[in-house]
Order: sequence, then C-alpha cells, then structure tokens
Amino acid sequence: MVNVTIDGVKLSVDENMTILAAAKSAEISIPTLCYLKDVNDIGACKMCVVEVEGRDNLVTSCNTKVKEGMVINTRSERVIKSRKQMLNLILANHDIRCFSCGKSGDCRLQDLANEYEITKSCYASSFAKVPAKIDNPFLTYYPELCINCQRCVSACHKLAGNGVLHNTKIGTRTLIDAPFGENWKETECESCGNCAAACPTGALIVKNRKKYQVGKVKKVLTTCPHCATGCQYYLVVKDNHIVDVEPANGPSNHNLLCVKGRFGSFNFVHSPERLKYPLIKNHETGEFERATWDEALDLIASKMNEIKKQYGPDSLAGFACSRSPNEDIYMLQKMVRCAFGTNNVDNCARVCHSATVAGLAMTLGSGAMTNPIYDITHDVDCILLVGSNPEEAHPVVGMQIRQAVERGTRLIVVDPRDIGLSKKADIHLKLKPGTNVAFANGMMNVMINEGLIDEEFIKNRTEGFEELKKIVMEYTPERVGEICHIDPDHLREAALMYAKAKKAPIIYCLGVTEHSTGTEGVMSMSNMAMMVGKLGKSGCGVNPLRGQNNVQGACDMGAMPGDFPGYQKVTNKEVMEKFEKAWGVELNKKPGVHATDVFGEAIKKNIRGLFIFGEDPIVTDADQNHIKKALSSLDFLVVDDLFMTETAAYADVVLPGTSYAEKEGTFSNTERRVQRVRKAVELEGEMRLDTDIFIDLMNRMGYEQPHLTSEEIMDEIASLTPSFGGISHRRLDKGESLQWPCPDKHHPGTPIMHVGKFSRGLGWFYPAEYAPSAELPDEKYPFILMTGRVLYHYNTRAMTGKTPGLMEREGHSFIELNEEDAARLGIENGEKIRAFSRRGSIFTTARVSDKVSPGETWMPFHFPDGNANILTNAALDKYARIPEYKVCAINLSKLSEEEKAALEKEQEII
Amino acid sequence: MVKEHVLHQNEMNVKTSKFLDKFVKRVKANPPGVCPIAVQLSFLQSARSQTCGKCVPCRDGLLEVENMMRDILDGKAEMDTFENMVDLCHTIEDTADCAIGYEAANIVLKSVEEFYDEYMSHIKSHRCQAEVGQKVPCISFCPANVNIPGYIALIGEHRYADAINLIRHDNPFPTACAFICEHPCEEKCRRDLLDSPINIRGLKKFAVDQIAADEVKVPECNVSTGKKVAIVGGGPSGLTTAYFLSLMGHKVVVYEERDHLGGMLRYGIPNYRLPKDRLDQDINAILSTGNIEVKYNVAIGDGKDITMEQLLEDYNAVYVAIGAQTGKSVDVEGVDANGVYSAVDMLGEIGRGNIPDYSGKRVVVVGGGNVAMDCARSAVRCKAKEVTVIYRRRQIDMTALPSEIQGAIEEGVELLTLNAPVKINKDENNNVSGFVCQPQIISTYRGGKPSVTKANKEEFEVPCEIVLMAIGQDIVSAPFEKYSVNERRKTFETEPTTRVKGYDKVFAGGDCVFGPATVIKAIGAGKIAALNIDEYLGYHHKYLDDIQIPEPKENDRTHYGRVHLTDRSARERRCNFDPVENGMSFDEAMQECRKCLRCDHFGCGVLEGGRS
Repeated sequence: MVNVTIDGVKLSVDENMTILAAAKSAEISIPTLCYLKDVNDIGACKMCVVEVEGRDNLVTSCNTKVKEGMVINTRSERVIKSRKQMLNLILANHDIRCFSCGKSGDCRLQDLANEYEITKSCYASSFAKVPAKIDNPFLTYYPELCINCQRCVSACHKLAGNGVLHNTKIGTRTLIDAPFGENWKETECESCGNCAAACPTGALIVKNRKKYQVGKVKKVLTTCPHCATGCQYYLVVKDNHIVDVEPANGPSNHNLLCVKGRFGSFNFVHSPERLKYPLIKNHETGEFERATWDEALDLIASKMNEIKKQYGPDSLAGFACSRSPNEDIYMLQKMVRCAFGTNNVDNCARVCHSATVAGLAMTLGSGAMTNPIYDITHDVDCILLVGSNPEEAHPVVGMQIRQAVERGTRLIVVDPRDIGLSKKADIHLKLKPGTNVAFANGMMNVMINEGLIDEEFIKNRTEGFEELKKIVMEYTPERVGEICHIDPDHLREAALMYAKAKKAPIIYCLGVTEHSTGTEGVMSMSNMAMMVGKLGKSGCGVNPLRGQNNVQGACDMGAMPGDFPGYQKVTNKEVMEKFEKAWGVELNKKPGVHATDVFGEAIKKNIRGLFIFGEDPIVTDADQNHIKKALSSLDFLVVDDLFMTETAAYADVVLPGTSYAEKEGTFSNTERRVQRVRKAVELEGEMRLDTDIFIDLMNRMGYEQPHLTSEEIMDEIASLTPSFGGISHRRLDKGESLQWPCPDKHHPGTPIMHVGKFSRGLGWFYPAEYAPSAELPDEKYPFILMTGRVLYHYNTRAMTGKTPGLMEREGHSFIELNEEDAARLGIENGEKIRAFSRRGSIFTTARVSDKVSPGETWMPFHFPDGNANILTNAALDKYARIPEYKVCAINLSKLSEEEKAALEKEQEII
Repeated sequence: MVKEHVLHQNEMNVKTSKFLDKFVKRVKANPPGVCPIAVQLSFLQSARSQTCGKCVPCRDGLLEVENMMRDILDGKAEMDTFENMVDLCHTIEDTADCAIGYEAANIVLKSVEEFYDEYMSHIKSHRCQAEVGQKVPCISFCPANVNIPGYIALIGEHRYADAINLIRHDNPFPTACAFICEHPCEEKCRRDLLDSPINIRGLKKFAVDQIAADEVKVPECNVSTGKKVAIVGGGPSGLTTAYFLSLMGHKVVVYEERDHLGGMLRYGIPNYRLPKDRLDQDINAILSTGNIEVKYNVAIGDGKDITMEQLLEDYNAVYVAIGAQTGKSVDVEGVDANGVYSAVDMLGEIGRGNIPDYSGKRVVVVGGGNVAMDCARSAVRCKAKEVTVIYRRRQIDMTALPSEIQGAIEEGVELLTLNAPVKINKDENNNVSGFVCQPQIISTYRGGKPSVTKANKEEFEVPCEIVLMAIGQDIVSAPFEKYSVNERRKTFETEPTTRVKGYDKVFAGGDCVFGPATVIKAIGAGKIAALNIDEYLGYHHKYLDDIQIPEPKENDRTHYGRVHLTDRSARERRCNFDPVENGMSFDEAMQECRKCLRCDHFGCGVLEGGRS
C-alpha cells in the first residue's frame, strides 16, 4: 500500500493501482476517452492527464501507477486547459453530425465535449475523405468519425483474440483497416462486434444502432439463448420491439458476445413466421386449421388419455426443449410423469451430451463440467482440447481460450479437422474420427510408463486403477498411432505436456460424445484426469462444453427417462416415495425409453402418443428417413414450438409457445451456473407461456396442478432437488451468481466440483477398450462423414436463420473434403456434388481444402438444402443411446446431367 | 571597395546553423516505418524554404509541387495530380537557375521513381502500403528483434539475470553480442532527438559482466517431442537454431567440422575483441538447455564424412548454417608467393591458438572491412615491425566500424588509402618482398558509392615480408551444390522462411545465405529458422519465459552526453591478445539506462503492430 493525495483527499491504495484507479476508488472521476479497462491503456487521447507535484509534465493517469507520497491534482487550470485543447484537436477531424449518428446520446466524445463546453473545434479539419466500409450486414466503419483511440483494435486482438482489425496509414494519419468492405465474407472477421462495443464514438458501429435513440429504449438483462456459454446481455427494447443487444459483464462472458448472440438472438422473436394460434390438422385435407386453445387442449387431453387407457401410460412420451428455461422443462417432465403417467421423457441432450451425463455420473458421480470457464481459461499452463471447436460452437469460450494461448498457455488440440485453434496449438493430433478411447488409453500408457501418474491421488481417491492399467498397457504409442492415424511422437508429447503441467483442464465436446462408444469416450477423459490427479482443483478438471443454452438445465430438471430433477434416480425407492408424496400421485416405477429409442418403439407401435416441446428431430436426429417413418407411425403427435418446423408438419396438433424473450425463468449454462431469463416483450397473438400450457393440460388430463408462476416453480424445484436447494429467483435477482450444487439458502454455490471428495465417493477408473465405429468406410462407401456446426448458426437455424446477415454469411449446405480426394474424383472447389450413404442421398457443395484428412469429409447439419442427417447413422451408444453423428460411411459423386437438371429445377422452385 | 560588411558577424546565420544541427539530428533519427511520401514532403518544404525568390520555377513551382504532394500524401489526390506534379518537376529541373531549385526537382523526380508503388497506393487505394507504420526503432532494427527497452529497464533495476534471459528470448548470444555486435539498434535510437543514442551494446556488456551468462539458468524446455533436427555448422546461426529448437522440445544434433563450437566468433574474431572464455559462457548456456548433442570434427556434404542425403534420412529436418569460411583470392601477380595468406586462414590459426611470430617482419593487409582491421591488429600483436593496411578507396569508405579503424591506428597501424593492388613482388626464394600499389583518385558516384579511377601517378612498392588478403569471404558450398546453391554467389537460395527453395525439410541461414554479414544477422536468421522448422514439423510451440518488465518511468528529458566504452591503453594492449575494451561502471550504466525513452511504452510500441 502507498499513500497518495488526490485533489486534497488522502488515500492509502495498492501500489499496483494506476492514478486513475486510485482516483476512482475515492470517487474522484477523471475523464477518459481512449482508455478501456484491461484492454486499452495506451494514453493516446490525453483526456485523463493530471498534474503530479514534482513532475514537470502532465501525466496520463490511465497508465501511470501511483507512488508513495504522490500529490495529484486532477482538475487544475493547466489540466483543464490541456483537456480542452485535446478536445479541440480531436473534434477538428471528427465529423460532427450527431443528429444522424446512431451513437448520439451514448457517445463518449459527445459527453466530454458537453462537459468541457466545446461545441465546435477552433481548428479546421485536415481530414481526407475516405469511404466508409458498409458491406458487412452487421457492422459499419465511418473513418470520418474515427478518433483513432485504438479501442476497437485492442478489443479485436486482446478480447476477441481474433486479431483481424489492423492499423493502416495514409501519410501521417492512422486509419482502422476494418474488414467490413466488399470482401467481408472472405476475411477472417467473425462479425462478433466486440470492436463496436469498444468504440467510444459512432465510428465503428453496429448497424442496429440506427434503429433507436438511447434514452427511448428499455434494457432487459437476460441470458443468451444460443450455446451454453451463458453470456449475459441486455435486450434493447423500443416500443415492445427488440432492436439490439448490449453485452453485460456476466461471469462467463465478461462483456464479450459472439455474432449469434449480438445479432442473431432477437430477429426470430419478432419473425412473421411465428406461430400465433393453435392449429389442428384436418386429416381429410391434410391441412392445419386454426383452433381455439380449448379445442386444441381438449383434443390433446382426450387423445392422450384415450391412448393411455387403451395401451397403457408407457405408450406415451414427451420430449423437453433444451432451449427453454428450467421452469418450463420441470413442468413438462412433471406433466409426463404425473399426467401421462410414464417416465418416457427425455431431451435433446440425448443426441449431444447424454454420454457426458451418463459417463461422468458413472466415474465421478456428477455429469457436468467440473470447473468454471474463467477458471480453466485464465492462469492455466496447458489446455487439452478434445473434439471441440469452441471458436465456432462456443465462440465466447473460444475467445477466452485464444486469450489464454496469447498469454502463453500451451494448447493441445485433438481433432480430426484443422480447426481455427489448431493453428495456434502447440500440437495438433489430427486423429481418425471415432478413435478417442484408443487415444486416451495411449495417453495413459505414456503417463504410466513415464512415471507421471499421481499415485497419492489414485490411492486415496479412486478405484479400479489396476484393471484399467492392465488394459492401457496394451495401448503403446505405436499401436495407438496406427489406430488413430497419428504420429506416436505427438501422442507421447501430448501426454507429457498434459501430465507435467501444473494446471491443465481437459475441455471436450461432441467430438467425444457423438459416437457409438461416446460414453466410454467420456469416461476415458475422466480416466486421464484422475490418473494425474487433475480433478477437484482450480485450473483443471474434465470440462464438457454443453451444447444448447439450457441443455444442462434440461438434464438437471429431470427430463431424462431414469432421473427425477437433480439426477435423483427413478429406481431409488426413497426418491420415488419423496416425489410421489410431493406430487400427490402414484408414479410409474419403470424407467422410461430414451428419446433415440422412442422412434424405433413408435415404428413398432409400442409408443403411440408423443408430445414434442421445442424440438425438430427430423432435422437434428440421425437418419432422417427413419425419424420420418417413426413420426408417421404415431397415433397422435403434438408439437409445441415457435415455428412450423419440419417435425411440426407431421403433428396432429401444433401449439404456439413463447420464446425466451417473452418469459421469466432461468437457464443453467455449461458450468452449472443458474442465470435469469427475463421477459422483454409481449407480442400480439395467442401464444401462451409454455408452463401455462403444461399446467392447463395436466388439469385437463385429470392431474390437479395449481397454477404457478416461474418463480414459484423454481421454489418447487428447490424444495425437491437437493442440488438446487438454495436457488431462487430472488437470490439471482439480487445479483448473486450461483452454480449448483447449492444446497441451501446461505450456500454460495459450487464453482469447482469434486474438491476433496468425488460426488460418487471414490472416482472410478472405467476400463474402456477401443472399439471401432459402427459403420466404417468400405468399397461402396469409402469416405468417413463427420458432422458439426459453423459459427453463424445454431442447430436447425430455427432462430439464427431468421437473421438475414447470418444467412448471407453462411446459408447453404456444404461438404468439406480433402484436396487429394477431390483431385482423384475430379471435383472442384465450389462444385455441386452428390453425397450418399446407405440411408439417403443429398446434393451439396464441395469445399476442397486440407482441413480434413484424405478419406474423411465433414458437413454442418444446419442447412435443409442438403441436410447431413439424411446421411448419418443412428447407431446408438450402449449406455447413453447417443447416435454416432461423428462417423458414418458415405460416397461422393460428380453430378450427372440429369441430376444437374433436377437440381436446377429444385432451385428454381426455391 | 567597401568591405564593412565582411567583418560583421551575421548573428542570425550562426543561430540558424545551430538550429539546423538540431534539424539534421531530427532527420537522422527518422523512425522506421514513416511514410516515404511524408518524408519527401518535409524535404520539399525545407527545399522551398531555401529559395531566394528570384526565379519563378523555384519560387512558385516548388510551392505548387508541395501542394500537390500534400494532397497525394493525404489520400485526396487522383492520378492527374500525380502527373501534373511530375510534369512541373521536369519544368523546374529544366528552368531553375541554381541547385536550390533544380536539385530539389531532381530529387523529387528520382524519389517518385523509387517510391512509385507507394504513390500509386496513395492515389488508388487512399492508403499507404502495408509495410508503412512506425515501429520501435531499436527492436525493429535489431535483426533478432530483441526486446531492448525491456532489458535496459531490467538492467536499470539491477535485475541482470532477467535481462540476460530476456535477451536470450530472441538471441542466445548475449555475451558475444555484448562484445562485438555492430548494434544496428543504436542507429535510429529516439534518444538521438534529445542528445545521443543510448549505448545499448555497452549496457548489454554491463549486464553480462555482472553475472556470467552460463550462471543464469535458461528457461525450462518443453517436454520432448521425439523429433530430431540436424544442424550443419556450430556457428552463431546454427547454435541459435539449436537453442530455440531445444527449448521447444526437439532433439538437436549439431555437426561441427572443427573441434570447437562458435564458428567465426571463435575462428574469425580475435580474442582481444571477443575473449574465448566469454564466448564459452554463451555456448555453455545454450548447451545447458539439454536437448543438444554436438558431433565435433564431422564434415557434411558430398565427399565428406556424412552426406546430406544421410542426414535427411536420419533427421526430421536439417538446418544448414555453414557460414562463409574461405578467404576470397584476388588475381594479382605474385599471389602465390610465400608469405601471402588469406585473412580467414590467419585468424583461424590464431583462433586455434597457433599464434604466428611476425617479429621483425613488415605486414601488408589488403582490404577495408572489419576483418582487415582484425588482421592488422592481430599482426601487431604477433609482433610485426610494421603493419600497413592498403585500401582502394578512402578511409571514410571503409566498411569497418570506425572504432575498429581508430583502434588500429592507435595501435600503430598505418592506413594507405586510395591505392589499388597491382602485384606482389617476391625474391629469388619465392618469398614476398613487396606490395606494389597504384594510386587512385576518387571519382563519380556509381550505384550510390563514389568510384575510384587510376590516378595519373606512378606505381610504388611497399616493402614487406607478409601479405594478408582481407578482401572478403566465400562460402564452401560445393559439397551442397544439389541444394539450390546459386552458382555465381555460391549462396543457398531460400524462401523468406529460411526453407531452401525446392526442398521440404532443408533450411539454411546465416552467412551461407546472404553472404558474409554480421553475427546478429546470423542469429536473427537462426531464430526464424527455428520457428519455421517447428512449424514445418507441424507444431506451433511456444517458448515463453515469464519475465515481468519494469513499469516505465517518466522520460528523463535532461540532456546527457553518451557514455562511450573506453579501451585499455594502446601501448599496453598491442602487446597481447587480452580483451581491449573496458566495461561501464555502475554509475555510467545507470545513467545510460535512465536515458531510455521506453519507446515500447511511450509512442507506437503499445499499438498493434507497432513493435517490430
């Protein structure tokens, strides 16, 4: 601590503080313009200058540290005069056209000019007119408004970690080389807009700002509805219409947002395609007809009751929506369990991270990310990233990993594709798809042979080591190299690097789970971490990046066939009794059918009535033709959704639900953090809160469910779910941030799990043997197809597809293949080709590069004009019943003349 | 005739001249990355300030050229402005009376040609070309991009070990460079705007004098990658590559033809400039990283101990850094006489410890570079009776560092400049008896350098018993000729990544690529090679060390004189090969440290792309 005097106030402050921070701590405000905390402290604008006794010259307070005995004057005549001079100089070359500027009222320069009473510069402009960059659909750069403060450039490099904004010169002047011009699509710019958020003026600006004036809007703090990073932001609402998004300083996003969050999270809310009233299918015409809520709900209640009566409760099933709040999901599973009378309830985690939930529950006792995002991306020595492309699928996590790498964290990427992060990785293990278990066993083989295992940890906290050791000793690097198509040296190095690092998290995603051996893949991750004692510690752990915004919550809330909320087992008698007592009804004791098995059961007529809440399995599930057949086989299908999806088209009744912007609730992000969702708008139409729909339906089906608000539902959840015991809307609204387990009202939540003891008691080393994928390439189908996501869309595009700029950036089906294969087949980059598997055939566009290895291909599954899931294989994992999206066998061919003609015709129709 | 004004002191002119001294300093310290058109515009403004106002083309024309150039500079102009400007310059050149006018126009025209691409960039895309943009002068002028402000600040806080490791982050030869680096970093030091460039090399020497480099622990290596890289040649470039590859976890085997490492640092630079025991400190530290094996007395190439093909089979990559090891010969009569040696051979023998005895002999050294000075000063130490350096041009044209020339003169070496070699006379036993020269006159500029022509004077003989030819070095590239060796220059042709053209896993750098140059250039190439070899092997390994650089202090704007390093007295030092240079005292070092303006913090150093 040092003693300083600022404007006569005596302070004792930390010696690492800047003068600016010290002044702030004493509530003395010093004006800043180019300064942005932790991002930009270049001291360029000189607005923050102060006078320090004993120094000849004025000092920039933003980047000068305090010293013992400093006497500082922040508003002497000399200081004020200097600030005025600076403003005059800056304003001379800033086109003052505030009336037409989107930042008017929210412009730092405007504030300062007002404060220092400068309406017009006393100097003439020397600025050469340079054209604005306007082609990017989200962002614009106006050079004549740019004050060259470097905040955007620093934000792009230091926060987004993308580094596409550069300085460029024209003579003695600096301009920002913003990649928003004609070729914006070809640049590496991700349109995340973090640069615009950093801009103090209207120079680098989000186009949405043009739609409103600050002060005439309300801002609603809520949680992003795309991936499970759980970014906090404000919806900006003008006249009951969301017009923009502003980042908030959430614990997982720290004011960062990605392109989907900032630009793709509200157009869909107001989309004219939204369902506005209930629809009942006229089976004679096959057309949907408008119905009243009473008609629709009565029909559903009577049909469901009829099937239940005739074929038993287990002939009914319900799918919960992992994009909806916890409270909605809780009520849906309650409806299925109490009113339908079955445990046939599931959610789309089944097709993404069910393997995680099952696998980590088996080995550690809890199927969730063990450490917070901040903890595993700040101050860690090495990151082991397996089957995860966070720059595209979890962009704000990706940004934080990029920051970590920039700070010197070593990065090991294990991925069959060249992803963006592999360019920054110390090592990239470009393994053959479907060989994760062999890879992990190989890693452990090296760890054991090199004496790097944590014997204390293994002895005190785990079981099953010897059995696993027996297996992994067979997995020599050479053998693993052959299985995985990797260099054994790379494997050895990765094992040493990970094991020797003091703090090293494993971060993984669907590249691990979406296999017919996905659960074993997941358990192999925990095996690796346990073997070197990297669990229950800061900067370590096993960290699945969950997919959907609330897929963690969907699992937590008991939308699972074997689990009540909080992973309380259906098969546990005490648990069963507790829920029967609480819900006042006798419950079905038999664990339900997994979502992926529901389709087979439907074809077999074992399941006849299905309620789908906010899912579109025709688009998202493997082997589309199989799904279509199953849905057609049902006696009765209800879909509750925002849009008329491909799946809804098969329904008997379609119900219009509400989006995240129209309701209260909570989402649980990937790090188990329960965060608020708040109502921002109320739309015209007959859409109803989904919780109200479920409550109404329960009552009509004969289960008496009193009406509850979202807040009351969370209280019920807390009363029945030990891990949620202390969580309530009230605590969250007070600004607390809670990660479950949070057993009581005074518990602060649990950032890091398994500290001292695993949830399971002892951690279990699961003895996993490598087994090849279910469908391997052969002569007829010689290519492996992997599927995945791109940055600009989320899953079915139901939401992101409603933002035109996102569709412009990436709007069509494509397939990545290797240059060698393309050359052999005579396929050019950008050529339309046919891709086909045993299950179907699609047209798509070839992207030729060396991103994938020879013999391998990759497709995103977002696009209906060539949906990858027509090709994928529904081979299911034995524990989690997750389909093998990441490996199936396909073939490729150039188009015949007839196919070309057919395709052209199809496009004309579109 | 009235001469009253002649004696009158023109006070204003004197003042202006003093001011112009500052102006010249300002111009000389022009930072790297400034837009060349901006520089030309400021030249033009100075030129116009000199007009006497008599002739129209100069008085009015230069102003209009300046206006047009300013529009081009600011990106406001189109092609017609450019054409009009060029046109007007031609007219001025044609019509102006005196040099103030026509030479200004001439220089503009020449620079327009020279920087045509930059002009077009301003006119067509209203932007400078990509490489324009200021950089921190010292860092960007250092071929290894060493973080100079950082280590000066560390020295200022007496953190010498950290300073050494910060240097080693980019250059593993802190000691060798402390003694003999040509310090291009000092060339544009911003401190020169105030008083004089910081003595950067002197400060580095101060640091390594406080704690020996091999007593400062090197950073920890990455875990082993299992990859093996062969380095051909254990000189500064090869060892730099070895150091960084080793830190990245690769196994490195250095093949050294001789029995010690160091290359020209050991066998070319005499002990009095770089003591061998100090060189060993750097080498020890490099080898202490742990992944480096050295195979001494093994030569590589066709007809040698191991062929390149064998290395390519045994290793994942090969870096060739064989330097420029043989002296160039000149085709003069008598060059075959006994007593004629190449500089490289003479210095190499001394490096091996075989010091010749020139007692009573007269020595002629031919050449004007640092090697010539090394030969001459070594000859003095070999007890030669007389040492004469013969050089074709003037002393000012010599490429040797001025301090080296000065040192030689102090030690009694005579410079015989503007004399070209004609022949070497020999006696009946074929021993050298004299060196015949032809006097030259300095003549017109050719290729930016004044040329010499034969003077209308008689040839003459310098009697001597020893002739040392220090007229350049050649690369012994014949054993590697399959690997993209330029037939004429004998250098390896490489990509900017140091990869040898047309070869996947062969990299080359140092003198064998760009011809004989400075040690820091060879080190810079070695670092680039290491990064690119790692990249070629499919990695992006980091080699970070966590050195916290001190917070910058306020610029000390007081003017100080520059601390120069002093030498031991010439009388004393000429008798032996002991190091000649004295170090800085603590007070001197701290004064130099205080002068650093911390351009890494103040100015462009904090901007994206503003460091190097």
